[in-house]
Amino acid sequence: MAMPASTRPKPFLEPEYCKACLRCIDACAKDCITQGDHVHPGTGMIPVLLDLENCNGCQLCIQACPEPYGLRPETEREVSGGDFELEDPAALFGPKPGHLVEPVDHPGTEIPISAREPLMLKGTYASAIGALLAGCRHVFGYPITPSTEGAELMAKILPKLDGAFVQAVSEVAAVNMMYGCAGAGLPCATFTSSPGFSLMLEGISYMIGAELPGVFINIMRGGPGLGNIAPEQADIKLACRGLGHGNTHGIVLAPSTPQEMLDLTRLAFELSFRYRNPVVLLGDGYLGQMTGVVRLPKTMTQPGLPAWAVWGDLEHRRNLISSILITEVDLEAHNIHLNAKYADIEANEQRAELYRCEDAEIIVVACNTPARMAKGAVEAVRFKGVKAGLFRPITLWPFPIEAFEPLLVHAKQIVVVEASPGQLQDELRLALSKAELGHPPISSVQRYGGMLPEQVEIEARILDAARMMEEVKA
Amino acid sequence: MSVIYDHFERHAHGEGLKGRTTHYCPGCGHGLVHRDLAEVIETLGIQDRTILVSPVGCSVFAYYYFDVGNTQAAHGRAPAVAIGHKRANPNSIVISYQGDGDLASIGLAETISTAQMGIPITVIFINNAIYGMTGGQLAPTTLMGQKTTTSPEGRTQAMGMPLRMAELIAQLDGPVYVERVALYDAKHRIKAKKAIEKALRIQAEGRGYAFIEVLSECPTHLKMSPEETEKWVQECMEPVFPLGVKKDLVVEPWWNAEQTPSFDPGKVLALVGASKDAPTRHAKGFPAHMGGQDISFKLAGAGGDGAQTAALLLARAAINEGFDATNIPSYGPESRGGTSYADVHIAETEVLNPGAPDPMVLVAFNAPSLMKFAPTVRKGGVIIYDSTVIEDLSKLPALAPGIRMVGVPLTQLALGLERPMVKNIVALGAIQSVTQAFPVETFLSTIRTVLKDKPALLPLNEAAFAAGVRHAALIPA
Ligand code: SF4
Ligand code: SF4
Ligand code: SF4
Repeated sequence: MAMPASTRPKPFLEPEYCKACLRCIDACAKDCITQGDHVHPGTGMIPVLLDLENCNGCQLCIQACPEPYGLRPETEREVSGGDFELEDPAALFGPKPGHLVEPVDHPGTEIPISAREPLMLKGTYASAIGALLAGCRHVFGYPITPSTEGAELMAKILPKLDGAFVQAVSEVAAVNMMYGCAGAGLPCATFTSSPGFSLMLEGISYMIGAELPGVFINIMRGGPGLGNIAPEQADIKLACRGLGHGNTHGIVLAPSTPQEMLDLTRLAFELSFRYRNPVVLLGDGYLGQMTGVVRLPKTMTQPGLPAWAVWGDLEHRRNLISSILITEVDLEAHNIHLNAKYADIEANEQRAELYRCEDAEIIVVACNTPARMAKGAVEAVRFKGVKAGLFRPITLWPFPIEAFEPLLVHAKQIVVVEASPGQLQDELRLALSKAELGHPPISSVQRYGGMLPEQVEIEARILDAARMMEEVKA
Repeated sequence: MSVIYDHFERHAHGEGLKGRTTHYCPGCGHGLVHRDLAEVIETLGIQDRTILVSPVGCSVFAYYYFDVGNTQAAHGRAPAVAIGHKRANPNSIVISYQGDGDLASIGLAETISTAQMGIPITVIFINNAIYGMTGGQLAPTTLMGQKTTTSPEGRTQAMGMPLRMAELIAQLDGPVYVERVALYDAKHRIKAKKAIEKALRIQAEGRGYAFIEVLSECPTHLKMSPEETEKWVQECMEPVFPLGVKKDLVVEPWWNAEQTPSFDPGKVLALVGASKDAPTRHAKGFPAHMGGQDISFKLAGAGGDGAQTAALLLARAAINEGFDATNIPSYGPESRGGTSYADVHIAETEVLNPGAPDPMVLVAFNAPSLMKFAPTVRKGGVIIYDSTVIEDLSKLPALAPGIRMVGVPLTQLALGLERPMVKNIVALGAIQSVTQAFPVETFLSTIRTVLKDKPALLPLNEAAFAAGVRHAALIPA
């Protein structure tokens, strides 16, 4: 490091880069630097003056200069082209940082897995295994009932696969660890439940802004506040309409069986990377705890590395993960870009299951576990000759309105069944209204606080609706 | 400096002078630390491994300048983001660059928990005793009596006293190296750069977490010239925030930078417990004689009665026979001591509704469970109860018509095997015998599969199951 003083380069200064802070003056023991005496026309500042006759090249002035292109060693002068005209930034600044290796997408691979016997899994485990098969080796979380078992299974398995489960200090930290891991281009997930999901919303907004993938498995419980740990569906509004501040949306998947907990978790990763956007898997506490038959898929995923990743190597060095766009013009353009993405998702990712809807006059709309009670009810009233069918949105956002629209031809009543005060109904009404569709009367079965709609009350409601239909006819 | 971009393309699209000047105010300490950091990255040859996490604060735009991988984090969350990066690519060198509001106020929980994890990342903490970006408000490190826009009369005790982060971090077990440095003169600037270099070297060698606090100048909000600010840092800040090494452990490299996750399907399948062996089927068909294509059970008892395990075995037996089944436990506080119950459905093709508000079969391990659920059992159903603990049926509420009550001394039979906890397996035997849901062999092979890793427990469980079957068979229908 220590060169003889005589051979050490002396400083030079391009006056337009001097901010006139004067920190260099004190640093020079040889009094080579003095306060300037005229304003630089380009900057409006008064750059310092250098008189290097006594300079010994000690470089202390350079170390005192906060501007990277302020005082610099003489040796750097050639590199950047010496004197140049201010008017020509291209000539002035030389090649842009784009001179590095161009990053490319390294696609993932699907690895076949041999046929296995079906497993018997509770919903949270099924979801965890879905994540593993989707190539997720990084899970960040904070324990919260009733989602914890998913995290526990990951804590057991991931270290054995040389992945990582990190228990963060809070959900706030957990979602930001996801931001980092996703920023590096890898699939990651968290298991949480309603109050924890609330805490993650800030981070989700950042992830949407920075266009990062990530899967949020929210096993909803009773609220508001601490509420209880029994099943509810009152985060539908949050997931569909309130993913943090700003212009945000994310695909919201609503499984209703342990099998779907696995399948939709896998799908969530795929969609999350396809759209570079977080995906929310909304389950209810009942589903999280429910054990059922789960068949494994035929392949598992080994993720690749997307071109945009900040991986920490030469290829990806030029990349930036950020949600800040300081000028209005840039941020508006970014929002227009996001809107186009949301429109794309709305056009292509609607999913629903229709059960006995072909001729249904009463359409029961329900998702998650209440959809299973509703299915039981539909089956029961069909025995009584009532033409009921179940419309089960699998994506809550985007709401599968395209699959719903044809049902309106024969539908005379709509019954929305949910463990929430109308949040699913709001999604339905909003979708109907945006599609400018007229619709028959909507009634509901709603339970709250951890109570789920029971099959008998759904049946009763459907029969009421059937009676109302008859009255209208009469 | 090759680690500083030739052209600050991200700074106002690199237009005009912004392409080569920082967004920092004249004399701001950030620029000095940037210079040190860039030079150290170059010296250590880690440019192609480095990820810089920019915070919220004046250094929010640190990514304008550093030609490394860049991530910009939410306010206070930079260390959590850094952990995400380090876990994703353990070979990357991750720097969390933060100011005092970011690190010592809003991000305090992330700061401390990340330090305590000790994972090799480097935290550079710029302490200038004031909020810069938002315009000169009280910082956690603002000095007592110091005037800011939110402490216009000066900081008082009730606003909290200045937080000494380096000392706080040093007393944690996680970090290996903690030092506080300053920038106010040439000597200290040299020391500061050395400290940064050491911190990054410790990370590069996989030795652990390092924290460098830099006493820095914010001339703008101290409303002083840069020169006066340097003096202020020396005379006013340094006595409160003494410089020096706060912690310096010699730790052998331990971080495995080469770790890469496994995607070996065999390994994954083994870990999730997937098996190739199809269970042998023993049943001739679905037990429709019990009442249709979808039969519901409720098993209820006190916390330690084993209702959950019995329910799981029942559902698994159905699945092993190729049918659909669901099991929902009661969970939460109620499963800690109070009543614990589980709903099981078995269905020929698909369980529609997995809840069992009106079960076909109730197994009650104690009197409260019997009183609570017996009236919900549907017409023609079966109630199996532990006749050892439930002797008095006189208080039983009215039941649906055609219900068969079967008292089996579950506890007594289990005690006969000297293991009271197997009364749930005795109950399973009774379920088999009374309902004929599946053949004995179905249940026995299910029990064997579940206990395959604990073969020592098998004889006991087989005996308990047999006792249940035997005893219930003696009870007249
Ligand atoms: S290199 Fe040393 S002697 Fe020369 S101007 Fe700078 S501080 Fe003064
Ligand atoms: S330290 Fe740099 S910016 Fe400040 S006056 Fe000297 S040359 Fe100019
Ligand atoms: S406000 Fe203070 S900390 Fe921020 S850039 Fe200006 S001098 Fe630096």
